[in-house]
Amino acid sequence: MTYLTPGDPSKRLKKIVGFILVLVGVFAIRLIDLQIIEADAINAKSYEKRAVTRVVPAVRGEILDVNGKVLAKTILRYDINAAPSKVGPVARKVSGQTVSIPVEQVAAEIAAILEITPQEVMQKIIGTGEYSQIKKRVNAAQYRKLVALNIPWLYYDPIAERVYPNGAVAGNILGFITQSGLMEGIEQEYNKCLAGVDGEESFEKGKDGIKIPSSVVTTRQAVAGKNVRLTIDSDLQYFAQQVMASTVSFLRADWGTATIIEVKTGRMLAAAEAPSVDPNEPGKLSADDRRARIFQAAFEPGSTLKTITAATVVDTGMGSPTLKVYAPSAFLIPNSNGYRVTDSHAHGLEKLTMTGVLAESSNTGILNVGKVVDWKTRYDYLEKFGLGKRTALNFPGEGSGLLNSKETWANDGVKRYVSMFGQGVSVTPIQSAMMYQTIGNGGVRLNPILVDGCEANINDFQKAPVKPGVQVISKGTSAQTLSMLERVVEAGPIGRYGAIPGYRIGAKTGTAQIRDENTGKYAGPYAISYFGIAPIDDPQYVVAVTAFKSRTVGSSLGVAKPFKRIMQQVLRAYRVPPSTTKTSDLPLNW
Amino acid sequence: MSAIRLTAPSRQMAPARAQLRSVSLASSRAVSPRNKIVTMLTIGALGIAIANLVLHILTSTAVYELASLQQQARELNTTSQIIADEVDSLSSQQNLSNSAQKLGMIANSNPVFLSIGKQKVYGKPTAALDTDGRVARNLIANSVMTATSKDLNVPVAEVQAAPANVATQKAATAPVISNGGVIPASPTH
Repeated sequence: MTYLTPGDPSKRLKKIVGFILVLVGVFAIRLIDLQIIEADAINAKSYEKRAVTRVVPAVRGEILDVNGKVLAKTILRYDINAAPSKVGPVARKVSGQTVSIPVEQVAAEIAAILEITPQEVMQKIIGTGEYSQIKKRVNAAQYRKLVALNIPWLYYDPIAERVYPNGAVAGNILGFITQSGLMEGIEQEYNKCLAGVDGEESFEKGKDGIKIPSSVVTTRQAVAGKNVRLTIDSDLQYFAQQVMASTVSFLRADWGTATIIEVKTGRMLAAAEAPSVDPNEPGKLSADDRRARIFQAAFEPGSTLKTITAATVVDTGMGSPTLKVYAPSAFLIPNSNGYRVTDSHAHGLEKLTMTGVLAESSNTGILNVGKVVDWKTRYDYLEKFGLGKRTALNFPGEGSGLLNSKETWANDGVKRYVSMFGQGVSVTPIQSAMMYQTIGNGGVRLNPILVDGCEANINDFQKAPVKPGVQVISKGTSAQTLSMLERVVEAGPIGRYGAIPGYRIGAKTGTAQIRDENTGKYAGPYAISYFGIAPIDDPQYVVAVTAFKSRTVGSSLGVAKPFKRIMQQVLRAYRVPPSTTKTSDLPLNW
Repeated sequence: MSAIRLTAPSRQMAPARAQLRSVSLASSRAVSPRNKIVTMLTIGALGIAIANLVLHILTSTAVYELASLQQQARELNTTSQIIADEVDSLSSQQNLSNSAQKLGMIANSNPVFLSIGKQKVYGKPTAALDTDGRVARNLIANSVMTATSKDLNVPVAEVQAAPANVATQKAATAPVISNGGVIPASPTH
């Protein structure tokens, strides 16, 4: 009964082995194909399916004031969300017993913390959805209180948010940054420095979508943004803003500015505005009121430009502070079809010195002073004083003001004349302040400085270097002009309201009519200004105050007192001792 | 049937291969070192498994500890931010101004400076009674000011207890240090 297998077993074995070898060979080739040839592509496909790449946002740098006080920083806020489909009573242990807290009561607790009504909360948590936002950008204290309630259907999303701890202090300068990326002010100008570089990390997730803890790979490290230090002294800035807020309110003006400049360096110590935007809530002010008018709003300066006319005459050697001129009741501009210039008040023929013209702020008088210099020379001086050109600050949206071309002046005799008392040209408050800085600084016009630099380490900040300036007028002219300005404060009918006992102050007032764009006519309410330098014996600070469209006070008297208060604070804060030298006592009449 | 069966196999039968043979006891003993190896490998594998288990337990514990520490760090970060928010609010100019106003503080608009080097007094000392110098109520918006100074009312008894004339007070015990005749610079300069 022995069964014998047909054929040769060894051959059969060989065939089987051969088949197996072929099979192994096929598998080997496929394996090589999968593991080596196509490996990268397959790996990438697989990784794509399970890997998640996430941007790690770089922390935005801080903006500091000159003393290191933080004016802008980035912190975490929390969005409070709920899953309405899961909303239900919350189990809570009370005196050792588990108690079910009804939804209405939980909603009332949430509402109390978020400072909204329970009805608002109820509206947002009732439903079948998986997501409902109860409140955005809640602060850390509120977040912690909510977490302590231990509500299983509440979710918290941490969001990095820009915060301005001092609110509207320097708000118009700082600008703001919204979640959608809209930027203004320093935030915009120094965005490259502040923003840093976002990082990137990737991790793998399991089938259930949960992150695999050990799989996080940082593919690009986030680089934190650097910090920006301003030259602004936030305490002084606050003081000036307080003064301007009350001034604008009292004058019922459209807006007001106060600029404080360090004469010998051009550093801006304060750039105060009213209204001033709180960058934490920029939407509360109109777009017009949010902007930095000190750099952006150009207007006809009026009589504050008479100082430049007088300085030009002195510098060209065509007259001195005691130059004798007539100030008639009216001045008829030659070849102008009877264009007549008068003063703010009716008067007979007055015999004034150049100093007296400034003290009285006589329009007819300054025309007789300025006409001794040919108009082309005066035009060149206005250009050298910085008119018609943006300052080197290059602040976002900065205006250049208006100085018409020489060709326009050549064909327009009225413009040539009225520019002597600040009409037909327009300047921004920063340009005006820098004109007075030039006079205080021995005739050297510097570039204004608003930012010390951009540093990663706040201890590395140094004062920004002061670049060489432009010698606009001679040192002697500067000294003589200062003496004239001092007499404005000592003897001027309005100028005297800016006097500070114990200090030698020089200033010029300005009550500028505002040109109606539709009719082309000049009328009130006025742009009133008071620009001053102190102390005259060693000029250190310029304070330039302007209120636009003052409705309750129709002269620069409305800003003389604010100037005095701000300048007093500057002298006190920066420890400037009272003057010990005597006034020049230049004559006003002849 | 039997004839067919007798003639059917036409091919030659292969020589009979060696059949099962008995294995001597001696050759069985020769495998015992293998047993040792197997035993050692088994013990080794068990050891590795136990070590792995222990390491796993330790790692798991560390992971929990790490998670707990991370939670603590988050909590502390939140605490730090809450305190920073409070400090920012309390040190904001708006809060300081309101506090100064509530306390009735008046800024003296007539500063007086002493020059130690020149032994000279600059300015005329005048009492700070000018209402112009009174610190004004805050007018500058700050929507992130969440905390304000409290208990600013100075007890009347304390005010009355203050000496009426500072000149009659004894000199301070701390020595006055000369700064070389220079007017002390403002900390904000």
